Amino acid sequence: MVNEEQKRCSPRNQRNPLTGSNVENSNTLFSPRFKTAAALAGWDEEALLLASLVVEDTPDRDSRIKKRSILNSKSPHTSSRRKRRAQRSPHSIPVAVLNLDEEETPKKESVKKKKEKKTCANEGTQGSKVEGSELKEKVFDVSSSTPTLPCIDKLRDELSCAICLEICFEPSTTPCGHSFCRKCLRSAADKCGKKCPKCRQLISNGRSCTVNTVLWNTIQLLFPQEVEARKAASASKVRHTSATSNIPEAAFYNNLRNQSTERASGASSRGMSTRRNNVIIEDEDAALVRRFHREIDGQSQGIRVVHVHNNSRNGTSSSSVRTRTRRGITSQDEDVALAQRLQREEFMQAFRGKNQEQQTSASSSSSLSLALANVRAMALRVRDRRI
Amino acid sequence: MIPGGGGISSSNSSTSSWAPTTWVSASGKRIQREMVELNNDPPRDCSAGPKGDNLYHWIATIIGTPGTPYQGGIFFLDIIFPTDYPFKPPQVVFKTRIYHCNVDADGHVSMGILKDGWSPALTITKVLLAVRSILANPDPYNAVVPGIAHLYLGDRAKHDDIAAECTIRFAK
Repeated sequence: MVNEEQKRCSPRNQRNPLTGSNVENSNTLFSPRFKTAAALAGWDEEALLLASLVVEDTPDRDSRIKKRSILNSKSPHTSSRRKRRAQRSPHSIPVAVLNLDEEETPKKESVKKKKEKKTCANEGTQGSKVEGSELKEKVFDVSSSTPTLPCIDKLRDELSCAICLEICFEPSTTPCGHSFCRKCLRSAADKCGKKCPKCRQLISNGRSCTVNTVLWNTIQLLFPQEVEARKAASASKVRHTSATSNIPEAAFYNNLRNQSTERASGASSRGMSTRRNNVIIEDEDAALVRRFHREIDGQSQGIRVVHVHNNSRNGTSSSSVRTRTRRGITSQDEDVALAQRLQREEFMQAFRGKNQEQQTSASSSSSLSLALANVRAMALRVRDRRI
Repeated sequence: MIPGGGGISSSNSSTSSWAPTTWVSASGKRIQREMVELNNDPPRDCSAGPKGDNLYHWIATIIGTPGTPYQGGIFFLDIIFPTDYPFKPPQVVFKTRIYHCNVDADGHVSMGILKDGWSPALTITKVLLAVRSILANPDPYNAVVPGIAHLYLGDRAKHDDIAAECTIRFAK
């Protein structure tokens, strides 16, 4: 099994998909083989995401070397490979950022070194020069496989809410400059008086507090897992309080969760790209996706089609009104919106037939519904932008 | 062509599977978190933890700071968290008898931060440190036992003698 893997991952085979994909955009940058290699190395989705960023920022050659070094670490050395490495060695110097990381993770590196020495001892024929270059590649490998920042613990402390002691969720900043979860700050203002919990300066009414967008985006980028867990928790909490009613937010967040679990197992590049989109334009997309889910949920609960269509019509028309007022669009896009809506209604009707057939089908198709929702959201956005 | 039909039902089933089996309240979560932090980084001469299964009832110990009349004594305290913690202060009670102008006969500690001065950003670690600091520096102007405060202000040496004697008698 392992031998087979090595054979498939030979450098020549592997160059083709990579160079091909380099021409394309970053979404398809990783070949499926790289992904399997990453899965074997125990990379999680975040590592992949970060690796993609690194690969984007570095020249092709570096990325190719990194890829090969991963493969090298798994396979015994051959003379032909050594030759190639010797040719390549001037390029294998890691970039400055990664040198920093090297200092920060001496333990891991030493472990790697030990491994390295063991393999060398086993083979007995490895030259010291080769080992040096190999080591450099390993360092590169180590640094790219540990995407967490060295100061992540300090960041965690800094970005924690002093009230709930967790990572700030939708942080709100007081006039005195202290940030808390919006909910926490609101409860504090309600129950403990309108004083800053940290410095006791008077703060205005907790109701009027707004989310510090920069801080919130930063937190979402740095601690996506915590944020998603918190979102899911709040969603399930809402579900608990009103179990019978249909909560679009819950569906939305749970689909986010589905997406993440999907990525953890499959780690497809498509999922990564949608994830990155989600992070950046979540605010825009959230409303749209939520609306779609409301429609979908409504149908699955067996509400009559007419009713759902009324809902969707109301929803879209109100939203288009909103966008029109916001962006000052003329009546021309009304037609586009109408066409879009009709098309979607058609889709929904088509679903309904299928839905009743597949009511009991496995949960694997949730990704499809998600993808569909994403596509529609995208289409809507494109439409808005175009006009 | 549009393979979304199955996803509708699955999205519903997944929502139910993601709902937690036991729901921990916000206060419980915060207390758990404080417990973890206290274990990771315990303050000097202090320790605290839940008394039993009840997360809202802790027991704590403070070792008397050397150089004070309470030195060498081990003082046990009960900490009772309200259900709307951290928005309401915890109740801190000395279980070990102590001769101190800010601790009443039942052991209730009288401190600003445990009353109106409470802030949700305070943690048990900070409360314990505050208690430890009033052992070293009593606040006779906000005393609950006026006699001791009077003695502390009038005859500090006698006050310290009595306090040290009480520490030896009750806290060792």
